Amino acid sequence: MADDAPWYEAALLVGVTNALNVVADAPLESLEPASPSAEAQAVFAEIRAFYECSNVPVVFRRLAADPGYLADVWGSARRAFADNTLTRRIKEALAFAVSVTTRSQFGTAFHLGEMRRLGVTERGVMEVLGVTQMFSSYTKIADTLQLEPDMGHIAAVDLTPAPGGPAAMPRGPAAAPRPPEAP
Amino acid sequence: MPTVRLRDAEEYPESTRKLFEVAKAWFKYDFAQPPAMSRVMAWDPELGGFHGRAMKRAMAPGELTRAEKEMVAAVVSGVNACAY
Repeated sequence: MADDAPWYEAALLVGVTNALNVVADAPLESLEPASPSAEAQAVFAEIRAFYECSNVPVVFRRLAADPGYLADVWGSARRAFADNTLTRRIKEALAFAVSVTTRSQFGTAFHLGEMRRLGVTERGVMEVLGVTQMFSSYTKIADTLQLEPDMGHIAAVDLTPAPGGPAAMPRGPAAAPRPPEAP
Repeated sequence: MPTVRLRDAEEYPESTRKLFEVAKAWFKYDFAQPPAMSRVMAWDPELGGFHGRAMKRAMAPGELTRAEKEMVAAVVSGVNACAY
């Protein structure tokens, strides 16, 4: 994964996952409308279709009092979790790892269920859990000793422009900033 | 600044330095000095050996590819706000 695209996509997914988890895990039961509006129901129908389930995840039900906001949050969530550069399967694995790491009860259970629904076996779940556990260890060791990044230089650099942007930047020495000219 | 002095590879006993060769092979990169984390884990080879094997087992290609697992590792590090 030398290109930046999957990393941008993963970062956006992490943000959306956390945004959903914070609302789902908070004691906000009272926000859920007893009778959601027709506009909210239309969004709920899209959500049910996307997740192939009869129940709308609690986070979306809690946003239904403002159907416009619900629609926009759902739009970003659907885009974040849809197949793109990264598959929906790996996206659910990333969301599961994020949810376990941030101790989200909602996110852990929800994305575990989604991983299984999308065909990830118990072995695959253990693989994601193993990586999550190992790197939850390394990060705390590094933070405790305040280690500084020392492997960034081995990573590839993607010089392509943003999606839809102008032509790629020149590569190699020509791309380096020129030193100031002598007066 | 690290809160400890990171020892160069040469300061470790011969028996421990083989852990650094494992790290070099793992990253497929010839470091001037092993990564700081490798040198920290090598401080206690008994712990570092077990931990390193668990990590290699967790990161080995299986149902997920190595690249997919690196991405899982990256997001876990990200949400842990770990710059290293």
